[in-house]
Amino acid sequence: MAKGMFVDVSICTGCKACQVACKEWNGLEGEPSHFHKVPNVPYPIAFNFTGNSYDNTGSLSATDWRHVRFIEQFNENRSEARWLFSSDSCKHCNDAGCLNACPVKAIVRTDMGNVVVQQDVCIGCKYCIPSCPYGVISFSEKTGTVHKCTLCNDRIHNGLGTACAKACPTGSISFGEVSELKAKADARLVQLKALGHAEANIYGYTEAGGLNVFYLFMDKPSAYGQPEHPVVPQRRLFRSAAITVFTAVAVAVAALISFRERGAKKNEGVKP
Amino acid sequence: MSPETQAPHWEWYYIAMYFYIGGISAGAYFIGSLVELLGNVKQREISRIAYYIAFPLICITPILLIADLGQPVRFWHLFFYTKDGIPYINHQSPLSVGTWALLLYSGMSFLSFLRVLGADGRLKSPAVKNLLNLFNRIPHKVYAMIGSFFGFFTAGYTGVLLNTTARPLWEATDPLIGSLFIVSAASTGAAAIALAMSRQNIASGETFVQLEIFDRVAMIVELLLIIVMVIIAGQYAGPILRGWFGLMFWGGTVAVGILVPLWLNWSARRPGSAVNNPVMLSAVLILFGGALLRISLVQAGQM
Repeated sequence: MAKGMFVDVSICTGCKACQVACKEWNGLEGEPSHFHKVPNVPYPIAFNFTGNSYDNTGSLSATDWRHVRFIEQFNENRSEARWLFSSDSCKHCNDAGCLNACPVKAIVRTDMGNVVVQQDVCIGCKYCIPSCPYGVISFSEKTGTVHKCTLCNDRIHNGLGTACAKACPTGSISFGEVSELKAKADARLVQLKALGHAEANIYGYTEAGGLNVFYLFMDKPSAYGQPEHPVVPQRRLFRSAAITVFTAVAVAVAALISFRERGAKKNEGVKP
Repeated sequence: MSPETQAPHWEWYYIAMYFYIGGISAGAYFIGSLVELLGNVKQREISRIAYYIAFPLICITPILLIADLGQPVRFWHLFFYTKDGIPYINHQSPLSVGTWALLLYSGMSFLSFLRVLGADGRLKSPAVKNLLNLFNRIPHKVYAMIGSFFGFFTAGYTGVLLNTTARPLWEATDPLIGSLFIVSAASTGAAAIALAMSRQNIASGETFVQLEIFDRVAMIVELLLIIVMVIIAGQYAGPILRGWFGLMFWGGTVAVGILVPLWLNWSARRPGSAVNNPVMLSAVLILFGGALLRISLVQAGQM
């Protein structure tokens, strides 16, 4: 009975109500500004705010668990434009790179299929951060631990949906049983294809063991900043470990050959 | 390949230095223990020096590792799951398995260290002597065998740890960083042994020649691994081809740390060579190159 979300970007208007609702429900602070100097500007600039797009945070972070992407596409002479939106968050992968990587079992999956960080267990080793193929999980200097979307763990275990889905005014984000959401997504995809949107596709049925939070995109996943073929890092672990063991054996053999007893004649040749 | 992964922001002076120092210690230890297990009496000096090097170096590493944690006081969570207090290991996480391997390796290198101290008559305290006698009931070769296994593990898992992520450079170089780190641990470990021996003027010519031969093989393999790794990384090799990390990697690791020592090694073998005693110089250069290998790969992967 995995719960999840279906994000239909075709009806997202980029209002960011989901971003606000997420911040409010989860009590997330504003992203701290990181100022630095840039050439030709006399005062320091907060470089972690984009300032050149409606996309204000630019990425997910320890305090931004939702991020509405604004994708501006133009043709070569800029006579035609398309503006795409997508509300991004943790995908609650069934084969979660962060959960697999966690050395202290701070990252766990609940009975509803969502992946959460136990704040009192996390030691802040930061290994989950590069292990997420989606760049979701983030470190907070303030708490010394990692943070990410919990699929509103407190709400969903008390019969409510996620805060972002509740706030979404167009129904672009819907919360529910993953199997029911998939039926809804399939029907919507058929409808969009019939309307001539040939590039529409569903992202998340097979990626990372299936994503509990999945998307209907109007362009290829990479246009929305998502990896086309994400590989859960631990699926490469066996090969990597096997090659390393092989090398260790080779080094041991090299050591045995180098340190074996040599004939006196040969040594004289080497060091006269 | 994932376009928008995040970097862990591991500090070079903690994590890359741990990879480096842990590598020297583990490399020295596995050379020393292999020599003890399979070598002859004349080579005992190598084992003795290796055990003297391995344990003090590995004592530094937990400090580096714990200092990099966001919650340093909770480091013990790596060994016990806090919700039930039962020892915990995550078989899918190189970091988790590596932590246990490091613990076991540290224990074995401590016993070997005690043993050489005892053999050299440097143990004064009766309590420590009793402890040594207690452990001596099992032949030291057993400890050396277990220790060399976990020594190899400690030297190599750090590379597997980097490869088992979604960062473009580390993912694209999969599965070779583990191998590269093991070979580098071997060459820096041998260099540390050679350096310690030449400082104390205790090495016989033959032992030096053997260390040199081993180091030469390790450096040639390391060079080949680096070339193959850069080729398979293809377009994702950018961060180690350009900028500071490119300079560190090609100038520091490859040129200064491998090619120059190989040349010194080679020219010293020619009769009438101008370079009289290149062993110390080579060893220092190899150790320098090993440090830059870890720093450039760990930091470039986070760019």
